[in-house]
Amino acid sequence: MSILEVEKLTKRYGQESAVEDLSFVLEKETATALIGPNGAGKTTSLSMLADLLSPSSGKITVAEGLTIGFLPQYPQFFPWLTALEFTEMAAKLSGIESKKARLQASRTLGFVGLESAMNKKTGTFSGGMKQRLGLAQAIVHQPKLLLLDEPISALDPTGRREIMDLLKALQRDTTILYSTHILNDAEEMTDQLLFMKDGRLIEQGSLNNVKKRHASPHIRIRFANPNQAAEFAGRLTWERELKGAVVFLPVYKNGPSMQQVLEVLSSEKQDILGVDYQTASLEEIFLKVVAAK
Amino acid sequence: MKQFSILMQKEWRENIRNYKIYWVPAIFILLGITEPVVNFFLPQILQSSGGLPEGAVFEFPTPPPEQILAAVMEQFQTIGMAVLILAYMGTVAGERKSGTATLLYVRPLSFPAYFLSKWVVASAISLVSVWVGFLAGYYYTLLFFDRVEGMELFQMVGTYSIWVLLIVSIIVAASAAMPNGGLAAAVAFAIYLILQLTDGLFGAAWSISPVKLPQYAAAWLADSPDSGSLTGAIGIAALIILALLVFGSWISWKNKAKTKV
Repeated sequence: MSILEVEKLTKRYGQESAVEDLSFVLEKETATALIGPNGAGKTTSLSMLADLLSPSSGKITVAEGLTIGFLPQYPQFFPWLTALEFTEMAAKLSGIESKKARLQASRTLGFVGLESAMNKKTGTFSGGMKQRLGLAQAIVHQPKLLLLDEPISALDPTGRREIMDLLKALQRDTTILYSTHILNDAEEMTDQLLFMKDGRLIEQGSLNNVKKRHASPHIRIRFANPNQAAEFAGRLTWERELKGAVVFLPVYKNGPSMQQVLEVLSSEKQDILGVDYQTASLEEIFLKVVAAK
Repeated sequence: MKQFSILMQKEWRENIRNYKIYWVPAIFILLGITEPVVNFFLPQILQSSGGLPEGAVFEFPTPPPEQILAAVMEQFQTIGMAVLILAYMGTVAGERKSGTATLLYVRPLSFPAYFLSKWVVASAISLVSVWVGFLAGYYYTLLFFDRVEGMELFQMVGTYSIWVLLIVSIIVAASAAMPNGGLAAAVAFAIYLILQLTDGLFGAAWSISPVKLPQYAAAWLADSPDSGSLTGAIGIAALIILALLVFGSWISWKNKAKTKV
């Protein structure tokens, strides 16, 4: 069931087009990663979905009663408010009853790991704490859709891991759309990928489908020396590629399965150092797609 | 109404925690005190400044207390208004520019409640500052010169308060309309000067001009202003304030896209 549909969304500033003809659907309780280089139009797209920007044209259709939480890339807080005061205010402004807002705010701050800092003024917070507080204000009213602009980019590896774990916990009953350029992290929490470049969507689909289209998976066989590799490659009927002492066999395009390769290798006299299955990482796929378009 | 009270609380906290609630009244108290004190000690000040021929004698007529209070108002009209502009030029524009407004604007926010909360708190602090400033000036005038009728003072301050509300409305609306606090201050100051200049040059016959409110306020001390002109000027000021509140709410909403994301 879709909770948000975007059709031909466009944002222009004069002659310049920041986002052009963006169309996609968000299914309920899925995670979608919006990936693109700087200036691709990710923040503009999220700002339009968060109703901060009006589109020049196109249509955004949301499910009835959909509540939205938004985390900007660099969330800014009133430095003279404490984390609890700010989150409580955010809860109240999002429609939570005054009586429940304080409890809900302190629970949410506990969830994001700011329990001990909730009575400190936000002006004293580090970058990581601000990112956590940003997440707290975005989820304090338990929205059905979370829009996150680069939620982990500004964090150190430990902080990234903690926030990713929080997001994965949220994903169970929340639809998440997040932009990122840390593709290894995106790979572990995504049902749908949206690649953007120059304001346009250049690739979309599930992680598996995108990988099938662009990952070029292959089996790699490493020999002790290049002569052995060449001799082995010469005897094969499958499509292959020889690079020094390594033979690459593409898995797609009617290539062999690992079992077939292992059967052939079992009778081989040459010194084989190793056999493994290799596929392009999301980062490699992204670079390939961006370069091609 | 619920959002208005939540946002009012936020504004109130901001004005307390950034000490605006203390330093704005403090400046007005200082301005209020300066006029009677300087007037009273003027002979001693001149003597101690030196450079006068020996035996020079100055005779100053003692100014009437009404004149001292009118001079206090003059101070408020120049330095006081500049202080209010500086204090509230960034009330909306600053939030947008720093990005702190973003986390408010992404919620189902009532922009009239948002703008009104800023206007109410800015007006309250400005009015209290002007009142305590006059009160301080009145106290020292009473101490060094003579007393002014309490009712006259009350009427003067009341009339002047309408003018202050008008200026605060211009400042807060300029802050909502402009991209940053500096431009908001420039626009508010330009409007203030243009109003004064236009009224000074062409406004001799415009008896119901709200720009004449400070004049009418001072007139309570001497006699009493023409009630028809005063009522007209207050009515026009109220209409302009109302229009600025509507404009400010609308332009705050219109400019929400300019907040830093």
